[in-house]
Amino acid sequence: MHEYSIASEIVSNVLDAVEKNSAKKVLSVRLEIGELALLNVEQVVHWVQALFKGTMAEGAEVKVKTIKAIVQCQSCGYKGRNIPDSRDIDQHYAAFICPKCGSPEVKIEKGRECMLRKIQAVR
Amino acid sequence: MKIIKPKGPEIFDIELEKDLLAKNRVLAKGNRRKLDQSKIIAIDIMGSIGSGKTSLIKALLRKLNMGEAIGVIAGDLTTTIDAERIEEEGARVIQVNTGKECHLDANLIHRAINGMKLDGVKILLIENVGNLICPGEFPLGAHKRVVVTSVTEGPYMIVKHPYIFREADVIVLNKIDLAKAMKVNPSQLEKDARKINPRAPFIKANALKGTGISKVIEALGLE
Repeated sequence: MHEYSIASEIVSNVLDAVEKNSAKKVLSVRLEIGELALLNVEQVVHWVQALFKGTMAEGAEVKVKTIKAIVQCQSCGYKGRNIPDSRDIDQHYAAFICPKCGSPEVKIEKGRECMLRKIQAVR
Repeated sequence: MKIIKPKGPEIFDIELEKDLLAKNRVLAKGNRRKLDQSKIIAIDIMGSIGSGKTSLIKALLRKLNMGEAIGVIAGDLTTTIDAERIEEEGARVIQVNTGKECHLDANLIHRAINGMKLDGVKILLIENVGNLICPGEFPLGAHKRVVVTSVTEGPYMIVKHPYIFREADVIVLNKIDLAKAMKVNPSQLEKDARKINPRAPFIKANALKGTGISKVIEALGLE
């Protein structure tokens, strides 16, 4: 539900960066969103595009790269993927339990990101 | 012959490494510093709509009986209903309306603690907006986080929202008196919580009657 505030943050960062680089138009922006971030990617893209309207980024393509989750177990040392492939309701719940030893002491190394990585623009 | 042609548009890339949640985290750290300097313990109280966050705060205020030494920041979308309910207990209350936002953020708390008279305040209770998803992504700078859930929300609240329960320092299962009527098994909810967060005390409470409130106070170290 906080996709709108994240989108506003993205848009202000994009416009700020293009102004600093004296760009005339933005062609595309690239985001990286972790699969464990509490964000609906489609909604983020929708809001970014909506907020781009009337700016020099209007019509820019919004590309999103999904960052896969990597966890590290603090009990047994397992490091790797921990997301069941099926998209059932337990998906996130299972992410917090070590697949090897069942310990909840897992640290999420990757998969919670929400980053603005690249802007392609025209000068 | 050399022909000078007009320059075409130049396409270029701007590489960035902008973490969009970092701004909130920095502000949250600032809030924590300010609270520590003022020797105030702040508690972020999160939970879904109608789980009993305001009732829990009222019960804590009654039990602690510290008058204006407790400050409360009541977060809500647009109304002042919760702030008025809390004011009845004699605490110092400030209302923060988020408008359309589904969570409090560190900037709103920064503004609230700067707009509030904090002299004499020892404990600050922050009532977050009713939501089990978004507040988990926005730390406020509080020392401890409580998540309130209740049996009337059904048996799957913890399994469905592991992130917020995992981050909790204390988990309160409210409206425990209604468990039977709701056909919800509190022990199963406790198991679900333990599985992802074995450290947080899991306290069964009835905030309206005051059941379990001493345990919440003890778990938060507010005695």
